[in-house]
Amino acid sequence: MMEILPRPQQFEQSQLNMWVDESIWGHRLYDEQTPWLCILEMLCITQSEAGNGRAFVESKFNELKYHIYPRLYLRNILFNNPHIEAVATEYLDDSERWQMWTDAISSNVGGLTSPDFSYLKSRFESFKDFAEIVKFLQSSAIEGDSNKRWSSKFVFPYGPDCLYEDLRVTGDKVTNDRRFFGRTGELLYLMLCRSGRGEEILSRLESTGIITRNYSRNHRGSKWNQLVLALQSPTDRDAPRASGSPPYLPYEKLPDYERLADDWLSILGCDLPDYDALPHIVTITGLHLIIYLLSRAKTTLGEPTPLRFVLEIVAPKKTTVRELASDEFQKNNNLPQRSIEHYIRSTVDLPEWKACLNSFNPVEDAIDLLKERFAWSAKEEELDGSGSPEALLNSLRENAVKRHQQHLAKFHGSWAREIGLSSSRGSRRTRYAPTDSLLRTLVFASVPTRMEFQEFLAKLHEKYGFIIGDRQAEDLINSGDADREDFVANSERLERRLASIGLLKRLSDACAYVQNPFASEVK
Amino acid sequence: MPPQSLPCPASDWIGFLRQYGPIPRNDNMYDEVIQRTLERKKLQPITFETKYLNELLDNFRSASPKSVILTGTAGDGKTYYCREIWEEFGGSIADWQQDTKIHQLTLGDRQLVVVKDLSELTSDEKQSLLPQIATAITGENTPIVYLIAANDGQLVEAWAEADQNGGLEPVRQAIEDLLVGDLRESEGFKVKLYNLSRQNAAVLFPRILDAVLNHPGWGDCNQCAYQNQGCPIWQNKQRLEGTEASRTTRERLTDLLELCELNQRHLPVRQLLLLVANTLLGHPGAKDRLLTCRQVPGVISSETTSLASLYRNIFGENLPERRRESTEVFKVLHGFGIGVETNNQIDNILIFGADDPELQSPYTDLVLADSFYGANSKYQAQQRSYLEGDTSNGREAFLSVLQTQRQRLFFTIPTERITEMKLWDLTVFRYAGEYLNDLYRFLQEGKKIPKPIVSRLVRGLNRIFTGLLVSNQDELILATSGSYSQARISRVYEESVSVARKRGESVSVELDRIRRKPSLVVYLASESESEVKPIRFNLTLTRYEYLSRVAEGALPSSFSQECYEDVLAFKTQVFKQLAVRKLSEGENGDAEEAMNIRLLEVNSAGIASERTLEVYF
Repeated sequence: MMEILPRPQQFEQSQLNMWVDESIWGHRLYDEQTPWLCILEMLCITQSEAGNGRAFVESKFNELKYHIYPRLYLRNILFNNPHIEAVATEYLDDSERWQMWTDAISSNVGGLTSPDFSYLKSRFESFKDFAEIVKFLQSSAIEGDSNKRWSSKFVFPYGPDCLYEDLRVTGDKVTNDRRFFGRTGELLYLMLCRSGRGEEILSRLESTGIITRNYSRNHRGSKWNQLVLALQSPTDRDAPRASGSPPYLPYEKLPDYERLADDWLSILGCDLPDYDALPHIVTITGLHLIIYLLSRAKTTLGEPTPLRFVLEIVAPKKTTVRELASDEFQKNNNLPQRSIEHYIRSTVDLPEWKACLNSFNPVEDAIDLLKERFAWSAKEEELDGSGSPEALLNSLRENAVKRHQQHLAKFHGSWAREIGLSSSRGSRRTRYAPTDSLLRTLVFASVPTRMEFQEFLAKLHEKYGFIIGDRQAEDLINSGDADREDFVANSERLERRLASIGLLKRLSDACAYVQNPFASEVK
Repeated sequence: MPPQSLPCPASDWIGFLRQYGPIPRNDNMYDEVIQRTLERKKLQPITFETKYLNELLDNFRSASPKSVILTGTAGDGKTYYCREIWEEFGGSIADWQQDTKIHQLTLGDRQLVVVKDLSELTSDEKQSLLPQIATAITGENTPIVYLIAANDGQLVEAWAEADQNGGLEPVRQAIEDLLVGDLRESEGFKVKLYNLSRQNAAVLFPRILDAVLNHPGWGDCNQCAYQNQGCPIWQNKQRLEGTEASRTTRERLTDLLELCELNQRHLPVRQLLLLVANTLLGHPGAKDRLLTCRQVPGVISSETTSLASLYRNIFGENLPERRRESTEVFKVLHGFGIGVETNNQIDNILIFGADDPELQSPYTDLVLADSFYGANSKYQAQQRSYLEGDTSNGREAFLSVLQTQRQRLFFTIPTERITEMKLWDLTVFRYAGEYLNDLYRFLQEGKKIPKPIVSRLVRGLNRIFTGLLVSNQDELILATSGSYSQARISRVYEESVSVARKRGESVSVELDRIRRKPSLVVYLASESESEVKPIRFNLTLTRYEYLSRVAEGALPSSFSQECYEDVLAFKTQVFKQLAVRKLSEGENGDAEEAMNIRLLEVNSAGIASERTLEVYF
């Protein structure tokens, strides 16, 4: 049995009225935080910790505290600045433009008391240049095109000066409402801490320029980092905010953490130009967190069978593999909820529960037990009419499920879609059907230089439980759910897809190699 | 004289040739079966010169022969080569045809061991044989040399399997490197690897065609009364042969096969033989869709000879759809879309030619002149009924006839009218003719390719590299998005590479040294600076078409997602070498020119230029 770390003594009781999802997956996996935002949150933490010389070192479990920057000047300029383009095209001389724009933004600005944008003018040749640079940074922003609030849009993480937190801004008030930085990045950070690969990951991240150990006042970093810095007021570097209560990740050690970190290192080890590794890191992280979600659920349910994903490589017509991929998606999608129900119901096997039932005051004792075990304080109305511990447990279960369905239950679906693992193309049901960009990430993460195609399929199966070819689908074929040809055709489609995106070399009708074009050791 | 009354002698040769065709029991798929049939029917084999045979024989004759591995796609002739070598060194046919998997022969003071097909061996046999082979390959002056035929997938698997307890690793790795790197030999290993899939179909095809067309078996036809009474087989043979003056049909067909090779679609010998047999004998009404001599009188009397048209048969139109789609050669040739693609000029001639005085002359030359497969009375009747708007039934029929006619025109428009008729509009590759003649063949002859072609390719590349509708064509613009080098729109100017040779920089189209196929090469520095390597982009037919069309206005991701990805990958490679160049020039980009960024601006003429934005900070 794996060691489960103790629940933190105090947590945000106001927001959490029970501790069910959290005890299985930690606090917390959050569906509305996209994989990109998860990485950004994680990078903020890493930078803060690296600056303090303790990146990826967790001296005590689940006590992470860090500092995070708001950088409100930068964000107002980039994402809360609707006038800039209009001003740039006004028929005015340069200083009039600056004046006009300063007036406009000052009236519009959020989160800053008595804002002062006067530092900008001397830094740019002309207002037009300034506007051009702002436009450029907007175009490469994360969530730049989304309809999220301006304080939830992020400049591309070129370096430490591009990292800041998600905020809620009302007038000049700023609060951290964890709307899109929902701690998933914190969990990711802890996983990497506990993977034992922290030092290597840190030095890789440092060489990309995103993170630095020496984040001093005069740190300037890469060209792009400097460009972003040029938009910031000196005060943006001051006053980072302290993080709130520490996150909680239940397991001290899991092979999942190591596999996640190994994939990070494989991708960071590829010889990719500039920041090209980052989107792949985002995708592979998404995949690993989905696997973490599902395999924890399976463990909780006590299911010994390994996790499995049947992947349809999109076919023009409906196929058996498509059916299976939909079924499997549905099955996996239900795993988390089943596991919490099971987890709650398993209370009845505890000796303490049995003691409750036989006690003088069964309901009172049950309330205490559930409170201790699930940090659940049943509200008055929930207790009404529930005359028995049994009913109490049911009520907890119902509440837990309701709560679970709000966010965690959607995690699998929304993250699978985000990273391109699932699709509902040509069908009403969602199924596992990888996109080209996910395939590319998988090759970077799993193929050091080149690998025979069948071996590649076997590797994906071993690492992620992916079933694509007939050799991996043996169980499904033997049970009569599918014919061998269905899966052979499926793997042939994959082969063609990989070839079409330059990742596969076919030698003849019988032999093909998957190739990583960015392999670092290629001769 | 009514044809039915004539005697119809069945020719053994036609029967034998038919076995090469796409029939269910495709008996002549296998060298073994062919040998037996030849013996029984006392026929001469179809022989033609093969690329490597002499080279292989020389190897085994030499003082220190190396072991040979023959790999290739099914039907490339692995067994054929083995048997020829076996016979050449005195092996008997009777021995060969025995059911043993491994044959042995004395070769001077050595033993030659021939493994006909590695995959036929059981896993135990492989376990014992492969280490011996490894010894022969790594050892000095060994008493045994091997000749092994294996398809490459099995080859790799066999070695991986046999290597479970290690020890064979160096040999396995060497063989894998040869395979993947498309190499013949590797330093330190006494083995040669011949990948028979590298035999060029366009080189083999004319030889195969000649071997078939000049086969003495055709002599039988001279005794046949149908020879000049409309026998479609004979007609097809005549047309495929062409005349001294015009060999248009076989030239065009060879061109198509050449284009297939250039597009990395390899066709093995077996498929080429199948193509020839089907072209000569195909007819949708015949048994198994291939004519026998006995069926010829029936075809003539039912007036369906036009369905035996070789121009249809080349694309397997005589076959049911499923069969056609599962036959490699037809699948590949179908990819050209010949019959479906067209232009107004050609369709106008075919449809209105009879009535429009302006089209009269080409109509006469191209349609009326061919009364056998062109404007026979049936065609003219269908054309008339189509134009007069008769029943919808006749309409469908005419449209399918039209398709056949376009196919015919593709193979018969005379060379001097190619440009005028825009021949290649009859295929999906509008630029294929230019690609083949002005690019590939120019390069083969060692000539420089015309400048407009390079300019157009560069313009296409620039549009994809930047994601902007730019028209620059004298320089290759290298731009990024600042973050992700594969982003669709890249506005951050990094560098431009001069197309004309300038300080070691240039962009040119060359023949690849090993594969002898065109590639587009970007040089960032003169070759003497060895650290910066030239970047090569295989210029296949599809990619050429893609770049050309993008240059002429198509959107980069609309025509082919696959090509788009390829070009982006190429761009990344260029950037990698650019970084190497910067490093070797000691340019420390970030520190010095830290604070200016250069963005691309496109003017109204579509010319992109850089604009530097200074930041004082």
